[in-house]
Amino acid sequence: MEMLLNNPTFAFLQLMNSISLGMNLFIIAAGLSLIFGVLRVINFAHGAFYMFGAYIVYTVTKLWGGPFWLGVVAAGLGLAVMAIVIERTLLKFLYDKEHLMQLLFTFALVLILGDLAKILWGTDQYSVSYPAALSGATNLGISFFPSYLLFLSAIGPVIMILLWLAIDRTRWGRIVRAATQDREMLSALGVNVTVVYTSVFAAGAFLAGIGGALAAPRVAVVPGMDATIIVECFIIVIVGGLGSLWGTFWGALFLGFVTQFGTVLVPNWQDVLAYLLLMVVLLIRPWGLFGRPEGEH
Amino acid sequence: MKRIWQATVVAGSFALFASSPTLAQGVVKIGALYPIAGTGAVYGVPAMHGHDMAVEEINAAGGILGRKIVTVARDTKLKPAPSSAAAKELITKENVDVLVGGLSSAVGLAISEVSRLEKVVYVATIPKTIKLTTTKLHPYVFRTASNTDLEGDAMAQLVKQLGVKKLCDIQLDYAYGHDLAAGIEKGLKRHAPNVPKVIDLRSKLGATDYNAVITQILGAGCDGVTSGLWGSHFISFAQQAKPFGLFDRVKYITGGEIGSHEIAGRMKLDYPDNVWSNTYELWYNHHDPSHVAFQKALAKRSGSKETAMWPVLAYIGVKMIAAAAEKAGSLDPDKLAKALEGMTISTPVGSRTIDAKTHQANTGQFWGPMVKKPGVDYRMMDPVKYYPAEIK
Repeated sequence: MEMLLNNPTFAFLQLMNSISLGMNLFIIAAGLSLIFGVLRVINFAHGAFYMFGAYIVYTVTKLWGGPFWLGVVAAGLGLAVMAIVIERTLLKFLYDKEHLMQLLFTFALVLILGDLAKILWGTDQYSVSYPAALSGATNLGISFFPSYLLFLSAIGPVIMILLWLAIDRTRWGRIVRAATQDREMLSALGVNVTVVYTSVFAAGAFLAGIGGALAAPRVAVVPGMDATIIVECFIIVIVGGLGSLWGTFWGALFLGFVTQFGTVLVPNWQDVLAYLLLMVVLLIRPWGLFGRPEGEH
Repeated sequence: MKRIWQATVVAGSFALFASSPTLAQGVVKIGALYPIAGTGAVYGVPAMHGHDMAVEEINAAGGILGRKIVTVARDTKLKPAPSSAAAKELITKENVDVLVGGLSSAVGLAISEVSRLEKVVYVATIPKTIKLTTTKLHPYVFRTASNTDLEGDAMAQLVKQLGVKKLCDIQLDYAYGHDLAAGIEKGLKRHAPNVPKVIDLRSKLGATDYNAVITQILGAGCDGVTSGLWGSHFISFAQQAKPFGLFDRVKYITGGEIGSHEIAGRMKLDYPDNVWSNTYELWYNHHDPSHVAFQKALAKRSGSKETAMWPVLAYIGVKMIAAAAEKAGSLDPDKLAKALEGMTISTPVGSRTIDAKTHQANTGQFWGPMVKKPGVDYRMMDPVKYYPAEIK
């Protein structure tokens, strides 16, 4: 606490850390929120998609010696393709079933993908190097800050704007928004809802994939990273409001700040802090800070 | 049909039972507890190499009291609960004569508790928590590893030698980290009482994101860091701390065997500057004449001339048990424990004596800076200095 007040450089570094973590989380949570908004499926396997993204970038850069950015693209596209296969062959049969069936299905995916990752990559912990161009630090006037983390802070808003444009300003976006309101009516109007659903599931997985790939140099690639991230994603979308893009954005920033400043201000309570705040939000505004109560659509 | 199958299975298991070493007289059963699968396998598999090497050497020379050694290995999964379950199973089902191993302090304490309850000797080869040989000490637990008090004392000596003026401490939030922090604290009182420790940082065991603690070290303005982040923890920490320029500003004094070739060989040129660390053994440092032969045999077994550090720990554990059993003339736990008290053996890294009171072996460690060397893509410790197991 003292250090935050007396040392502006440190306070600045913590602020930047919070933003870069928050923006990294946003990319991943946005996919979860998007899928829920349209498909009304709570995708437990989103964390596993993220983990696969991280393993793919590891494979491309460390095992095949390819460039980092290629790894990121491969992670995004790889996960999109995987999502299309899963959606077309399995998930599509569950849309009309009760929510519990969908939950159980995505939970089964978590277990299957978790074991698959262990078979493919083993259980060792891997590290992915920063891309060469961003391996140093950038002078921000107040202090130097790792260029890669700065890049993460910037890429979040870029993706936010692109997503907003796609959903608010394109024909695909209009159809997606319509699908969240009334899928039967949309289908009756002659729109191929199946394609909409598949594309949204793939887009969500794409975001998880690049989110995982971009997170890989910041942390480490290790089995179990899916479980940590899915909990964080749920905190974000519940605080922000499930299905709301802006809510996800602010929710992710919120969690970034809670995590980074929590370790400084309340080191012994750091682990429970996010959950405590989540409970407060659920008690006061169960639909989240940016969501709308059920039935107000 | 079903009946026939049942009968076959029953008969089969009888046959197995009869031929199993449990009933066969004339073998010594050692229960080895290491993380041999999963995340911990990077440490557990090399440790088992050393264990097997010692067993083969002893068996080739006629075994223990004329009886061959049989190893029953169990995976500890790096976690206390599966470790104590495995230890119990080894004692009650496999009837092992003695337990050896344990990786991570929490695992060591868990196995020790089973050893206390079941009255079976446990030789802890890797766990360092001081509690094992102090507050949790019991008649059947012995340690051939070093401990957190010795490690902390050596680190405090380095703090003084390197002229650190302001110290930060970063540890993992579990038994080993807490005890090492206490060990450093005690050492600082002895060697560097005027160096202020301005901040105590704790990271979760298994943490992969260290950005918040890195900025705290920078914010505190320390010129020295003491740490016990081991294995992958250090690798993640170092990668994230590098762009912040942390290793240009601090002298990083770390326990947790970051000076071993496992870490140097894995990180290669990503290994940061200004690291002073420890190891039990270095393949390129022939401190004891017998080390040359040991290292050569290990290189042959593991298929690499640059051998790992963990094998020697497991190797010493088995050798200690064998020597004590010979002295006791029996594998009876009470007689074996009695023989282990004050037992001395020579090892590839110097002689080891177990203190009769504390059950702690006088296991020192090698410490030194990790520097770049021409012709190789990994760092090596140079100069290497042995810190004997004594606290002055």
